[in-house]
Order: sequence, then structure tokens, then C-alpha cells
Amino acid sequence: MKTRRTFLGLLAGATATALAVSSPSAAETLTIGIVSATTGPLAAPGKFQLNGFKLAAEEVNAKGGVAVGGKTYKVELKIYDTHCNAAAGASAMQRLASVDKVPVVLGELCSSVAAAEAPIAKDFKLPLILTVPTGPSLTRGGNPYLFRVNSHAALLNKGLAAFIAKNGWSPISYIAWNNDAGRGGVRTLGAQLPKNIKNAYTGYFNVGEVDFSSHISNIRAKKAKAVVLLMDEEPGSLAIKQIRSAGLNIQLIGTLAMGSNRFLKRLDKKTIAGMVQYSAFPPKADVLRIKNFSARYEKKYGEEAHGFAAQSYDGLMIALAAMKNGGTVTDKSRIREELAKIDYTGVMGKIRFDKNGQASPPVYITEWCADGTRKILAPKDAVAGCGKG
Amino acid sequence: MFDAILEQIINGTMMGSIYVLVGLGLVLIYGVMHVLNFAHGMMFMLGGYMAYTAFAHVTGDYGSAVLLSMLSLMAIGAVLERLVFKPLRGNLRNQVIASLALVLLIQNSVIAIWGPTGIQFKLSATEILVPIGGLRFSLQHILVIVVTFACMGVLFVFLKFTKFGTALRATSQNNEAATVVGINTQRMYWVSFAIGSALAALGGALIGPLFLVFPQMGDLPLVKALAGILLGGMGSIPGAVIGGLLIGITEALATLAIATDYRDAVTFVVIILILLFRPQGLFGVRVRGEA
Repeated sequence: MKTRRTFLGLLAGATATALAVSSPSAAETLTIGIVSATTGPLAAPGKFQLNGFKLAAEEVNAKGGVAVGGKTYKVELKIYDTHCNAAAGASAMQRLASVDKVPVVLGELCSSVAAAEAPIAKDFKLPLILTVPTGPSLTRGGNPYLFRVNSHAALLNKGLAAFIAKNGWSPISYIAWNNDAGRGGVRTLGAQLPKNIKNAYTGYFNVGEVDFSSHISNIRAKKAKAVVLLMDEEPGSLAIKQIRSAGLNIQLIGTLAMGSNRFLKRLDKKTIAGMVQYSAFPPKADVLRIKNFSARYEKKYGEEAHGFAAQSYDGLMIALAAMKNGGTVTDKSRIREELAKIDYTGVMGKIRFDKNGQASPPVYITEWCADGTRKILAPKDAVAGCGKG
Repeated sequence: MFDAILEQIINGTMMGSIYVLVGLGLVLIYGVMHVLNFAHGMMFMLGGYMAYTAFAHVTGDYGSAVLLSMLSLMAIGAVLERLVFKPLRGNLRNQVIASLALVLLIQNSVIAIWGPTGIQFKLSATEILVPIGGLRFSLQHILVIVVTFACMGVLFVFLKFTKFGTALRATSQNNEAATVVGINTQRMYWVSFAIGSALAALGGALIGPLFLVFPQMGDLPLVKALAGILLGGMGSIPGAVIGGLLIGITEALATLAIATDYRDAVTFVVIILILLFRPQGLFGVRVRGEA
């Protein structure tokens, strides 16, 4: 009788141990904070940012999760809609830090909102990784808890300024968003242009404005040779449509939002042939990491990969890598230290943060070919023909 | 410079026409119900979406798509009046709050149905270019102006020479007296809402192919139309027309002299100056006891 009881006890113990060993990680969840615009006028670019985060989380979870300090965690995203509003951003950041108690926050779409969130990150010693905002001053504030995966406006415009100077497109004109991205873009591009490139006209428009006729009249009257469109793909396509409808034959220069097939679909190949733009992620580039990401993104979302998605994908992977390296999902100071010294090759390329938390991934200049494909014009080591941009 | 001025006058007249269409609906509703409907911009936006949907998925013909859009917005306007504004009649504050709530409800419903990204309403009229002097404008540009002026004419005849229009004007002038003479004022309320919404829908359906159809497309025209009817005189139909056109042309011309981001400031400075000298607006009637 005693032997039988001992046997049953051992069997129950063994079963319990086996169960504990086989499924310990399934119950563990690692919640990452996300701030972005999911509603409002900037919901469209916000969607691309979220797509990047979601794809990264899904891929990590599909492989069983992320192993940190001997435990495996499923990644869960706690998303807050800041609708590009500074007050909403600050409130979301506060909530993520004090209520949700996440170890790291990623995202944000707008620089002005990121500027409101950054001090809260510092106060709560909570790492904040930006993946889209381009305002240069953000990573100049000496905030040790702020990191930025994407290039800021000055870095993005550096190559473009050299390209404009090389082509002698003077006088130049600008139509830009009346926000930090647009004004920052005009300021940083203008500052990097040589003195012989004169500025004929600068016009700003508010988010949601769709009538560019006033700008077009001014650009025509000032006889500008080229127009730089510092805006997203939606207003960008509209501005180009109106420029061409008004019979203004001028060199078009755009942003990374204008180097995609989505953009081409809004217009047509004849209208944008010869247009150049800077790009942080040429989706058709003949580079393995880019090709793989583009294929996975296209499979999941049924459309061409977007630069914001690639940047955000890398942002989340970097956050997980920092936690892995630090062996913790709770010690935020440790995670910050690991982020500061990270050396990661992601979809965007090599990512390392400088002492201000700013990364400098590669920036490309692409041009629309007559057949509706793109080619890479710069940097020299990435130059590629039509269909490879 | 002459070209630039001409270009801006035509552009300003086109945008002004849109403000007129929105403003006329606002004035009709305000005149009859004495309530400012802040959800009127949403009717404009829904008009754009309805026209696009009818064009792309139902008729394939722009004219009938516009008509369908106006009819559907007429129905939506009448339903909103019955379900939202009628129960709150007599409480102006609650009606205003309800119209603001409708803005959120309609805008987010549109995002849920059609998505947050702007829709391109591709139409051949936007590809056909009409030369005027050394300038070129799309046919849709001209269509917006012509249709708006035609619509103004029809509305004028309707209000001035038809029995229904007279009843509408009578309700607007004195609600109680209109009831005494046998006018069904309840009917006038929803009719004014239906006509106002249809005019806004026409605006959205006309501008959609020229620009984009997107959830926020009604926000700016609403503000400008409100400014237009203030300038023209609250409740005045000729005032809404002149006010809307003046705002459109002023803001377009202003950009030739000053930075475009100050365009709205110039417009509102002009409005303030006019209202300083004519507080009742250009065509408004001064009422005893009002400033």
C-alpha cells in the first residue's frame, strides 16, 4: 500500500515538474509602450509606424518570444493614440510610466509631441525610442533616456543639399507643412545649400489644407527652377497634381514619403518622371536586408513597405536586443545603458547611437524613372538603376 | 504679375464658391432654427464620400453620383434633425453640444468605414485643362464655379417665387406668426436641414475630384463659411454669397503679398475691420437691442 502511495506521489510530482518545464514561458508577457497617431489627420502615416511595430512583435512571438535573463517572453504592445497632440502625448507617456509600468516606450510621429514626452521619459527614467520624428533639436537636449533610430532632418537633407547644388537648381522654392517637420526641413536644407542656390519662395500650409494654388502662383511668379515638397505622400501627390495641372514645368524634389509605389498609384509615371527625393528605405533596393523586409511586409499588409515601418521595426528589435543584452525586462536604467552601447544591424542598416542618443542610418537619393520604377542616385556605394530603388 | 492676380482671382472664386455652398446651408438652418450646426462640415465631407462611392461603385457617371450624394445627404440631414435636434429644440446650448458630438461621431465613423487615408476621386474633368489667357485651369475648377452660381440662382427662385420657399422664409422671419397663418413649421425645420445638407453635399462632391476625399475635408470650409456668413450678416442669404466669395478671393490675393501662412490672419483682419464699421455684417439687419 505504502509503495503504491509513494509511486503515485512520485508520478504526480513528475507530472507537475514536466508541466512546469514545458510551459513556463507561455504565461510571461513583456509589455512595450507605443505612442503614435492612430486617429486624426496624421492617422495614415501613423498606420505605417504601427505596422512596423506589429510586424516586429508578431515575428518575435512566432519564434516563441524573446529570451531575457533565462525566461522567455511574448511581446505585447500597449498602444496609445496621441493624435499628434502634445498634451495627449504627455498624458500617454505619464500613463505608460506610472500605470502600465512598461520598461520602454517606442514611437511617436510628431516632433512637437516627442518634445513633450521626452521630459517625462527623463523624470521616470524610462527609455523612449523615437522612430519617425525628424526635428533635429530633439536629440540635442541632453536627455539620456531619449534615443532616435531614424535620421533627423539635417541628416536627411545633407545628401539632398549636395545633389541640388550639383544640379544648380537655383532659385529654389519650398512648399512645406506648417509644423516642425516642414519648417525644420526648410531650415536644415536651406542651411546646407551653398550661397549660389538662391531661395525664390517658401510657402507653408497647415495639415489638412489641400489647395496649393497660392503657392503655385507664387512659384511661377518668382520663376523658381525647382520646388521642394516637404510633406507626406497624400498632400505631396495633391501638390504635384496641381502643379502639373497649372502648367508649371518645374523640377520636383520630395521626401521619403514620395518614393513608393503607393505614391505612384496616386499620380502616374509621366507626371513624376525625373522627380528626386531622399529616402531612408528604398523598398526595391537590391540589398538582402531590405529585400527580405519588403517581402515580409508586403506579404502581411499587401502593399509596398514604408520607411516608417522599417524604422519602427528596427526600433522594437533594438529595444528587445537591449533587454536581452542587459538580462532584464524591468531595470530601466540598465536597459538605457544597453541601448546607449548597442551595435545593431537592422533593416535600415547599422544602428549605433551617438552620445545624444541619435542614430545615423544610411540616407539615399532616389529618382523616378520614365517607366514608373525608381533608381538610386546616391550615396555612391548604393547607386542602382531603374527598378532597384 | 497680371497673370498671378488673374490666377488668384479665379482660384479664389473657386474656393469662395465652396464656402458659399457650405454657408448657404448654414444660413438656411440658422435662419429657420436659430442654431449653428457645427456638424455642417461633416455633411460636406459625407457629400464627398457619397459621391465618390456612388461614382466608383454604383453609377460610374459623375452627374448622377453627385445627385445621389445630394439625395442621400438630404435624407441624412432630415434624419439628424428628427433624431438629434428636434428632441433638443428650445435648448440652444444642448443643440450646439449635440452638433459638436455629431462631428466626432460622423468623422470617426467615416474613418472606420473608408479608412484614415485620403481617397483620390479620379475624374476626367480634372485632367481636361481649360486655357484662360496664358494660364491653365482644370475643367473641374470652372465646373465648381458654374454649378455654384447656377445653384444660387435656383435657390433664389425657390425661396422667392415658390410657395414652399415663401413658407420657409416666413418661418425664418417669425416662427409663431408662421404657425398662426397655417405653416407647418416642424416640416420647415427638417426641410431646411435637408436642403442645407444637400448644398453641403454638393460642395463636397464638387471639390472631391479636384483635391482629395478625406475625413477632415469639411473642417476648413466650415470655418471659412462661418466667417463668410458673419461677414455677410447672420441669416442673410445674399450676405452668405458675397461673404463667402469675398473670403475666397481675399485669401487668395493676400498670398501674393504676404506669406501663405498668414493668409487666414489677413482674411480675419479684413472681417474684423468690416464688422467694426458694420457690426451687423454687409447685408445683415440691425435688430433693436443688439449692438
